[in-house]
Amino acid sequence: MGSFLLAWREARRAKGRFGLLTGAVTVLVFLVVFQQAVLDGLVTEFVGAIRNQSADVLVYGEDARLNLQGSVVPPVAPEQVAAVEGVARAEPLGVAAVTVEAGGELEDATLFGHVLDGPGAPVEIEEGRRPERDGEAVASASAADDGFGVGDVVVVQPGGERIEIVGTARETSFSVTPTLFASYATYEAVLLSVNPDAPAVVPSAGAVEVEDGADPSAVAERITAEVEGVEAATRDRAADEAPGVQSVSQSLSIVLLLTYVVVTIVTGFFFLILTVQKQPTLTLLRAVGAPARSLVAALGMQVLLVVGGGFVLGAALAALVLRVASVGIEAGVAPAALVTTAAAVLLLAALACLGAARRITRLDPAWATLPGATPR
Amino acid sequence: MPALVMEGVRKVYRSGSEEVVALDHADLVVGDDEMVTLLGPSGSGKTTLLSIAGGLLTPTEGRVVVGDQVVSDLDPRQLTAFRQRQVGFVFQSVNLVPFLTARENLTVVGELAGRPRRETGEQADRLLEELGLSHRAGNLATELSGGERQRVAIGRALMNDPKLVLVDEPTSALDTKMGEAVMELLRNEITGRGIAAVVVTHDTRMTHYTDRTVEIVDGRLQA
Ligand SMILES: Nc1ncnc2c1ncn2[C@@H]1O[C@H](COP(=O)(O)OP(=O)(O)OP(=O)(O)O)[C@@H](O)[C@H]1O
Ligand SMILES: [Mg+2]
Repeated sequence: MGSFLLAWREARRAKGRFGLLTGAVTVLVFLVVFQQAVLDGLVTEFVGAIRNQSADVLVYGEDARLNLQGSVVPPVAPEQVAAVEGVARAEPLGVAAVTVEAGGELEDATLFGHVLDGPGAPVEIEEGRRPERDGEAVASASAADDGFGVGDVVVVQPGGERIEIVGTARETSFSVTPTLFASYATYEAVLLSVNPDAPAVVPSAGAVEVEDGADPSAVAERITAEVEGVEAATRDRAADEAPGVQSVSQSLSIVLLLTYVVVTIVTGFFFLILTVQKQPTLTLLRAVGAPARSLVAALGMQVLLVVGGGFVLGAALAALVLRVASVGIEAGVAPAALVTTAAAVLLLAALACLGAARRITRLDPAWATLPGATPR
Repeated sequence: MPALVMEGVRKVYRSGSEEVVALDHADLVVGDDEMVTLLGPSGSGKTTLLSIAGGLLTPTEGRVVVGDQVVSDLDPRQLTAFRQRQVGFVFQSVNLVPFLTARENLTVVGELAGRPRRETGEQADRLLEELGLSHRAGNLATELSGGERQRVAIGRALMNDPKLVLVDEPTSALDTKMGEAVMELLRNEITGRGIAAVVVTHDTRMTHYTDRTVEIVDGRLQA
């Protein structure tokens, strides 16, 4: 309580410098939260369809290097995969880049064909319903206004195959295109209509549901080891290591990391300089009987005040800007990411202030008797 | 029981290979209601003696007792508690926290030590009143004059109801008139409360405010 009073009174009477630091933390937290939301939004644009579909494990062709569009699995693969220990169900998954006429315009889209009641379908439907027959699809919600809304019909070019949209699902874009989740037979029909000379349509991948309690990554490893010509990956790995995603997240992660480093350095230096400037005062307080730990506690409270205040302001600002300004992609502040960011910022600030805390604990109260309360 | 007993106290400062004997064979007894002047030239060891009596420095040799507490036996943590509860300090240079008001400067240590706020607040108001500072209670330390600061420092030294008050050169930064006023005030605050005081000065004109004068030269107390 005494520590808090001391911390608060000082901050209140040095509004300028504490306000400045709070402002700096606000800006940095804004950058972190904003960048994270944009990064997350971008990644969702690339692999939302993988993240938010129901297969626990995806099985790729051996040479595909986790690129769904470049993957082909042997038609017998799903059966062989189904025999692997821990697999509850394995079904074919078709993925194709298509051009469709939607809302009167030609658009690129990605068609996912999955067994209707099997793995590979969107986990959650936002509006409408799931497809019940061939020729129906769930589309990614972000394209709903571009002719991919419930009730719209898109026409695949060339070939003229019609697909009716009966539902939408959030955050299911793929390779920055809208997606259509339809039956596997629809996928086969579309491919044949686009390219009537194709000898046969083969699955792009296998969609696997693991048994209750089975560890998806262990199951994926077994599939890769036991089935000829395939590489299996859990849903998370499939999303994180998909082409494009890694380079995007790596470059933004570096910027993010730098911002964290700047937060740490700025708060660390601020409180170190403040502590050095206050040394005569702190020495005096130690000399008249204030325990070092209550002075360190006062420092801690100021760190919490400034960093906590800056965090709340920065996060609020980021949420506001993401809402008001259109950044061209679906990007919002995710509460879970916010909690992690808050913990990281506070932890880093606390670490950064260890230097200042050490200075406090190392003050010699006897210096209070010296001129200027500073050691000679 | 005497307020302060120092027996055979010696203090040697070491800086590198050099040794400075700042205090040698110091024996001093201060009665429980006694006010003593410690008079000596610059560098004679006055501040060193005061620091040892107040638990800011540990003696190289000898025994120091304040009230019933053997100070020379305490570890740093116990010394902090000792300074917080048993002694009052008025320092030579920095005495006040600049970003606190006069009143807050009196209450701050009690608050940090977890004393009830009502209690410290009432005591601070009483002391400020006695020191003629009630009207300045809400002013920041930086807004006070030199004499006012010295008076606030005296108030701060009395906040923990100490047995012993240690005052280092209270008048050196003040003109003669102001210095006399501060000594007068110190005398009034201390006598009759059962508080002992050691007041350091090198100004012989200030010695008549106290009961007794002890001289120190080159680290040795003169009889
Ligand atoms: N920390 C220290 N390290 C080394 N020598 C010191 C230290 N503190 C004091 N001294 C030396 O010890 C001697 C006594 O110093 P002290 O500060 O006690 O004198 P003083 O009587 O208070 O002087 P002044 O009137 O100038 O305040 C001096 O020679 C001083 O230089
Ligand atoms: Mg001195």
